[in-house]
Amino acid sequence: MAARSIKRLLYGFVGAAGIALSLVALFILSRTAQNSAEFDRLANTILLVNIAGAIVLLVLLIGNVVRLVREYRAHAPGSRLKARMVATFVALAVVPLLIVFYFSMQFINRGIDTWFNVEVEAGLDDALALSRAALEMQMRERLAATVQIAEALNDTSSRQLVVELSVLRRQSGASEITVFGRNSQIIATSSDQSANSVPAAPQDEVLLQVRQNRPYVSLDPLDRGSYEIRTAVPLMNPRRPEIVGLIQARFPVSERIGRMASSVDSSYSDYKRVVYLREPLKRAFSLTLSVVLMISLLASIYGALIFSRRLVAPIQNLVAGTRAVAKGDFETRLPTPSRDEIGFLVSSFNDMTQRLAAARRQASLSQAQVEAERANLEVILARLSTGVVSLESDLRIRTANQAAGAILNADLESRVGERLTEVARGNPLLAQLVDIACMHLDRGEREWREQLVLRGEVGRRILTCACTSLPGDEDHDPGFVIVFDDITALVQAQRDAAWGEVARRLAHEIKNPLTPIQLSAERLRRKYLGSMSADEGQILDRATHTIVQQVEAMKEMVNAFSEYARAPDLDIERFDLDRLVHEVVDLYRVQERHVDLHLEVESNLPDIEADAGRIRQILHNLIRNSIEALEHSDHGRINVVVRPTEIGQARMIEILVEDNGPGFQTGSIGQVFDPYVTTKPKGTGLGLAIVKKLVEEHAGTIVAENRPAGGAIIRIRLPVDETAREVMIAMIPGRAERRRERA
Amino acid sequence: MLLGALLTAPVAGAQDAPPREGYFDVRSAETKLVDGVHRLDARLQLVLSDEALDALSSGVPLTIELNVELIRVRRFVPDALDFELGLRYELEYRPLSQRYIVRSLNTGNQDSFATLYSALNNLGRVQDYPIIDDSLLEPDASYRIRLQALLSTRQYPAPLRMLFFWRDQWQLKSEWFEWRLDR
Repeated sequence: MAARSIKRLLYGFVGAAGIALSLVALFILSRTAQNSAEFDRLANTILLVNIAGAIVLLVLLIGNVVRLVREYRAHAPGSRLKARMVATFVALAVVPLLIVFYFSMQFINRGIDTWFNVEVEAGLDDALALSRAALEMQMRERLAATVQIAEALNDTSSRQLVVELSVLRRQSGASEITVFGRNSQIIATSSDQSANSVPAAPQDEVLLQVRQNRPYVSLDPLDRGSYEIRTAVPLMNPRRPEIVGLIQARFPVSERIGRMASSVDSSYSDYKRVVYLREPLKRAFSLTLSVVLMISLLASIYGALIFSRRLVAPIQNLVAGTRAVAKGDFETRLPTPSRDEIGFLVSSFNDMTQRLAAARRQASLSQAQVEAERANLEVILARLSTGVVSLESDLRIRTANQAAGAILNADLESRVGERLTEVARGNPLLAQLVDIACMHLDRGEREWREQLVLRGEVGRRILTCACTSLPGDEDHDPGFVIVFDDITALVQAQRDAAWGEVARRLAHEIKNPLTPIQLSAERLRRKYLGSMSADEGQILDRATHTIVQQVEAMKEMVNAFSEYARAPDLDIERFDLDRLVHEVVDLYRVQERHVDLHLEVESNLPDIEADAGRIRQILHNLIRNSIEALEHSDHGRINVVVRPTEIGQARMIEILVEDNGPGFQTGSIGQVFDPYVTTKPKGTGLGLAIVKKLVEEHAGTIVAENRPAGGAIIRIRLPVDETAREVMIAMIPGRAERRRERA
Repeated sequence: MLLGALLTAPVAGAQDAPPREGYFDVRSAETKLVDGVHRLDARLQLVLSDEALDALSSGVPLTIELNVELIRVRRFVPDALDFELGLRYELEYRPLSQRYIVRSLNTGNQDSFATLYSALNNLGRVQDYPIIDDSLLEPDASYRIRLQALLSTRQYPAPLRMLFFWRDQWQLKSEWFEWRLDR
């Protein structure tokens, strides 16, 4: 920035120096025009100053023009405006200058030409010729007189020469007559001047002409515009043709004629001089005018460039500033050039950028706060056990927390942006949730709350689900958010707790009075049977027998409840499930001959880590449940299938017990594992409930279904080892907590 | 280009023959001490250029200057210019009498000549021109004297002077002719 300012200052200084040099040159030119000596002295200086000024201006001009052209070609901001302004200013400056120059040149040429007139010139020529003719006549007369004087002096002796010369001088009207000898020595002279005056010596041209024996006559201009006629003739030897000297005479021209002749001579000379000087004068004026024009042109063009640049500079700054603002740089501040309208514009721009910067800082601050809150929210959501899925209106996943994926057994977090319907493919839990959500949306319900029971690979899930609309605006789709909690474990725990309590109360409240009832009944029988008649005794016997029998039945029921409520720790050990299953099945094959009990165990069945006693109880309960279901069936058949399988990454063993009995009632198939749910007249309703409880204690799954051909299927899947059990616990929310509680 | 054309174009009309540039030359010069006064004898060859001749014949008087400088020779320091003398002559053609007038601008004396040759010959012959009284000079100092002839344009109007400045034919000037002043 500083270098740029210095450069600009330097250019400005050089430009000012160029203009100053030009002005100085013009000033010196005008000054020296009035003073010859100064002009001669300063001519070189003027030349150098002119050249320097013009060169400086020219260099600056070329530099500026080249720069402008480059900027124009590069489409620099403001270059077109600058070029247009320069062109306009140059046109505004150049056109008047050229017009003035043209008319000045015309004025100079025509003005100088009007000084001259053909008629005047002809008149002067005639006047000169006339004057010359008149004077030549006098010259001829004076020459003839001189010749006569020479002839007269030929016969004059040397002693009388001076006297005769004076007489002849007065007679001829000469102002001076001098006789020169061979070597131009003065022999005699007569003059109308004082006696001390020295006669004029004959000039070389006079001597030369006379020596050639030719008379000499000339009209000699004198000072103060007067003339005299000078004549010279050879002085011959009287006895032989030999020049012995010369006579030079000077005749004054009359003052009047001399004045007129001088006037004609001066006028003619002046006119000729002016005619001669006409062209140089015109050229000199043209030259001066051209110099002034050139410097003015250069200065005005340079001035136009400077002015345009200064005028456009704030606009260029504004354009650059606007571009910077467009790119997001709100810290741009432009220098305020002046207090005019452009200065006001620049000030407004600076205010605008300042406010934008403040607004952006505020926005950044707000955004940071929002981001922080969002991060906090994400952390909270991630830690929440509640599943939260926000969706676009077209069911595209906007966000989903970890719990949502865990509950629905799907990786929702990595599939943000995809439609929920696509994500739900292959995931029965999610598919059911999507179906229910779509059902509500189809009804136009964007806000709903419902408890859902979903069926999946690992059993059913009970979810409390709530959906609500999200606020949106013109730019953002409102969407909605679905929040759900897996309350399967909670419900199960509540049921277990409730039934456990029921069992304990039954055991406590019912079992205790049963023994006195039984003992009382037996005592009544023993005491009164013998004293009663046969009929009455029979009635008593039958009644007490019934009481005892029913009390036994009630004891069995209470024991069963006690067994359900009791929850001893698991005794996990590795054992061969194949052998255990064979033992249990073989036991029932022997006892229940009316039922065709069929066992199928796959050969590659691995050992299982489980509580063998509870597994045995599970098998007993299931097989007994099926046998009881086949009590009235003639061709009852029970298939027990044991085979290895997998759920996700967990290695499992599937125990499938199916029969061809009446199957489960369609309406109660969801509650077959609840206590006291039974379709059999003799059942306690605790068999399947206990089975389910034992399976879940092993982190396994149990599913009850009806066969298409009739009959029921109980499908149990148990983890093979601890690793599989951990996987299953992780897949089924609530298991871990219950397991921890139990531990 | 316009300026160049204006400056380099001949002052008078175009001439077919090769232009005569003209020159001034000091052929010889000497001083002699006569009655305590140093007198100058010099022979100069003055040849006018075509443009100067053209101007003369058109009635423009030419001024020819003979500049004499008396320089005191000093040791160790630059010589001192003690005395300057300018002999200025005006050469003019008078159309009526068809004679060339040579007028001394120093004394006012004038002579007329029928031919330019005679006039220039007269101008180029300086004889017994008193330069300086010897008593005005430092007794023991050594002097050198030098003479230069030049065609002066100072008397012309400024525009013409500016124009003549750029014309070689108007820059007639001899080299300095220098000799020792005998005392």
